[in-house]
Amino acid sequence: MTRVAQEIPKVGLVMEEVRVVRWLKSVGDGVVAGEPLLEVETEKAVVEIEAAATGRLSEILVQNDSRAAVGDQVAWIECADAQGAVAAAPAPRAVDPEPPDTTPAARVHGTAADAAGDGARDAARIRSTPVARKLAGEHGIDLGGIAGTGPGGRVQLDDVQRAIDASRPADTGAQSLSPMPLSPMRRALARAMSLSNATIPQFTVTRSVDWTEMQALRGEFAARAGPAAAKLSVNDFLLQALARTLIEFPALNATFSGDPDSSEARIEPARGAHIGLVVAVDDGLLVPVIHDVERLGLAEIARRREDCVERSLKGRLKREELSGATISISNLGAEGPDRFRAIINPPQSAILAVGRRRDGVVVKDGVIVVRPLSDLTLTVDHRVADGRLASQFLARLVTILEGRNWRLEA
Amino acid sequence: MTEPKLTDWKEMYGALWRIRLFEGHVQRLAAAGEIPGFPHLSTGQEAVAVGVCTQLKAEDAMFTSHRGHGHVLAKGSDIEATFAEILGRRTGLCGGRGGSMHLVDAANGVLGATGVVAGNLALAAGAAWAAQAQGRQDISVVFFGDGATGAGAFHETLNLAALWHLPVLFVCENNGYAEFTSREEHSNVKHVSSFAAPYGIATQTIDGNDLPTVYAAAGAAIESLRRGEGPYLLECMTFRMAGHYVGDSQQYRSKQELAEIREKCPIERLKRHLTGRGVDPEELDAIAEQAKTEVQRAVERALAAPRPDPATVLEYVYRAPALAAIPG
Amino acid sequence: MQHTFIEILRRALDEELARDPAVHLLGEDVAAGGAFGVTRGLAQKHGAARVRNTPISEAAITGLATGAALCGLKPVLEIMFIDFATLSMDCLVNQTAKYRYMSGGRLAVPLVVRTQAGAAGGAAAQHSQSLEAWFIHVPGLIVVAPSTPAEAYGLLKGAIRLGEPVLFIEHKRLYTMKEELPEGAELPPIGRARIARSGTDVTVIAYSAMVQTALEAARILADAGISAEVIDLRTLLPLDMATIAKSVSKTHRVLIAHEAVLNGGVGAEIAARIGSELFDALDAPVLRVGCGFAPIPFAPELERALLPGSADIVRAVRGMMERQ
Repeated sequence: MTRVAQEIPKVGLVMEEVRVVRWLKSVGDGVVAGEPLLEVETEKAVVEIEAAATGRLSEILVQNDSRAAVGDQVAWIECADAQGAVAAAPAPRAVDPEPPDTTPAARVHGTAADAAGDGARDAARIRSTPVARKLAGEHGIDLGGIAGTGPGGRVQLDDVQRAIDASRPADTGAQSLSPMPLSPMRRALARAMSLSNATIPQFTVTRSVDWTEMQALRGEFAARAGPAAAKLSVNDFLLQALARTLIEFPALNATFSGDPDSSEARIEPARGAHIGLVVAVDDGLLVPVIHDVERLGLAEIARRREDCVERSLKGRLKREELSGATISISNLGAEGPDRFRAIINPPQSAILAVGRRRDGVVVKDGVIVVRPLSDLTLTVDHRVADGRLASQFLARLVTILEGRNWRLEA
Repeated sequence: MTEPKLTDWKEMYGALWRIRLFEGHVQRLAAAGEIPGFPHLSTGQEAVAVGVCTQLKAEDAMFTSHRGHGHVLAKGSDIEATFAEILGRRTGLCGGRGGSMHLVDAANGVLGATGVVAGNLALAAGAAWAAQAQGRQDISVVFFGDGATGAGAFHETLNLAALWHLPVLFVCENNGYAEFTSREEHSNVKHVSSFAAPYGIATQTIDGNDLPTVYAAAGAAIESLRRGEGPYLLECMTFRMAGHYVGDSQQYRSKQELAEIREKCPIERLKRHLTGRGVDPEELDAIAEQAKTEVQRAVERALAAPRPDPATVLEYVYRAPALAAIPG
Repeated sequence: MQHTFIEILRRALDEELARDPAVHLLGEDVAAGGAFGVTRGLAQKHGAARVRNTPISEAAITGLATGAALCGLKPVLEIMFIDFATLSMDCLVNQTAKYRYMSGGRLAVPLVVRTQAGAAGGAAAQHSQSLEAWFIHVPGLIVVAPSTPAEAYGLLKGAIRLGEPVLFIEHKRLYTMKEELPEGAELPPIGRARIARSGTDVTVIAYSAMVQTALEAARILADAGISAEVIDLRTLLPLDMATIAKSVSKTHRVLIAHEAVLNGGVGAEIAARIGSELFDALDAPVLRVGCGFAPIPFAPELERALLPGSADIVRAVRGMMERQ
């Protein structure tokens, strides 16, 4: 059992002190490295701090409403195995090794840490135990790629064993060099994307959005909604904002059908804001649709969003849940690219690609400030809308996203 | 004790010669670099060996010191096998593992020689105890030099042997030197027999270079032991004609001393004694010649004997092979 | 029914005296019962000729026992304290151990030297040592160190019947230990270790009184979720590397614990052998727990500070199992 310290990392450029707004987990809860663990308020905004390791939140050191400085330890996470500890780069050593010869009688010769010397890991030499090297050799594993959990970072037997276990599923995928037949999902996606590229003339417009207000409100709404409520995510805000924008711009809330040359060609308006959400699943993508989003408050949007994401992952979507949208949102999350161009999912007319949130410099009233920003890239079917409409649409979307006008409940 | 017949004396004369010649070969070959280590010669002390050992049975246990070639031969060991052991050959008494200072010939009761002064005294007492405990009539004899009186083990053993009434004959060859130091320098007690009385042990000091004297005294002592009268300390005054060990150049003796010694040579003295009793000197010379040939042949065969196989070096540490399988 | 270590040793000697007329006991105060009472009553039972007192002459009595062993007796010599074995050493090392070899296998010394070692509180520097390391250094000797009464019973009988010079090292703190003697149990073979406790995380190698200490440490470690396998060596020379190898191949971690001084102790020999023969099985450096490098002091708190205990074993093992 190792204890890993959860510290306040530096989030903004100038950040030195924060106020703990809300712990998103309680003592005893399991946490996964990278998931939001607590919210803190900086001078600028409420910011989520992600869990430093995977394990169990064993102790909270700084309570809600207390202040903490960057670098302060605010909690302990107990990791059942070294994986949790390794994931957190700045995790301190869990237990100091017994220094040899401090007992006057010097009754123990050496410690397991002795051979680790001063603890400094020699960059050129990988410390490892004989049995670990033997196992690594048998499995063709490079010791340099393994983080050792022994004294001084020594690679031990179970470190190698874990590396072997971890690499197995990926190995079978990546190392499979023989041609693979298409799964049904792969085939469907290939067809749809090829069709989209072939038949829909697509162009993009891009704008960045400042999340500051949204983050602040999200914290407020969460407090208002209570602990039982579904947790609001940025996608929920995007859904509500997009829904409003679609209602304001009915020209884009439509789908093109038919051959442009033929008389059957139509632009069909939708009767409400039906928005798809791109969900990554095992073998590809699913785009479940939430219908009539304009009628929903954020809380309900969140509930429905959680539900259809879960059922997407389990493959339990109904047919009508996969159609009817005029636009989809594709959010690749915190690990996603700064910006990207998504391909429209036919028969939809547009798709909104949300880049990752990152600190950016903006000028506000002649002053340079740092704000949490994302790039939004809207891909539009040029048969339905042209550049001006698309730009206006996007600008409006951004205005809503940066505003304070939200509905929590319907 | 029955007085030996002339034939017995002649045999003993031959025995003295065999030891003398044997030691001569050892000296010669050691000087030529043929013998490993540093053998100790008993040249000049043959009368003690022959006088005592001729009266022992094969079953009587005999222990000796680093200067033990004569005792071993006198006890009945094969000349060739003894010389082969000194050469370190496979056919030696101990297969080449013991060497000059550790001769063992169990069949003839030669139970050990040791290089640690006084090291065998207690073992001899132990052998005597075993005979006593098992109701055997066998006795135990140990030869040692006068230097042993400096060792604690000497006193411990005399005390114990007397206390337990053990049938052990302590034969001290007092040649006046311990290593390179004369007796005066390492003990205030001139005669080793002086130590016997305090422990309650019977003792006698005799001229160790006169075979008839040794024979008579040893015979009496042995009979006393066999009668169960307890341990006996026989001190034989003698002289070393060769140095302490081969290579010792004897700087520490005067030339006059050495001339005196030659006059006291036990072989010369026995020859004089026997010719005085009417034995033909030529007969004695013939016996000497015969001994010379016998020893020569044995030495030649020993020199031709095979050397031990290095692959066997770990054998005999223990009896059981499993116990011996300890990495070196 | 439970008997003390002393009672069980006495029984073993009694039975061997009855079984083999060549067996004789000797030593200082042995006929009177011995310094620790091990031989009490045996002179009366088997006769003064079979169980004998000797003067305080370790050199002579060791030689006596050796000479007798050469000539058909099977002596069991008692050297009261292993500290006094120093006085026996010339004979023991230069003669007894080497007789078979020097004679090219023609002579043997079936001798058992019984002695006892260890600190027992206040016996001080010359009566508390553990000197077994000196003797594993001598080819020709067998060195045995039993850990419990039942073990001692079988190992002593085995030693008497073995036909080699055996140094049989008892431990003063074990003398009052009680155990039931299983009837008809097979004699444990000389040269074979036993697994005193099975485990999977670490191998703790010990002998003599330290086995009990190691078992205590193992219980404490078990509460902390660490499974220790305790090996009771029983025989120190020859060493049972096969049992050690099997255990280390399973646990990949080793700690050797003995009461003797660490420096040049038996643990050092074992650690070196593990390092060279079992290198590829190791997941941690081999550790040793032993006595600090000082003579055993008289005052109890000083003695306690020097001697190794279960806490030292626990601490060392926990250090071994740490994750960074």
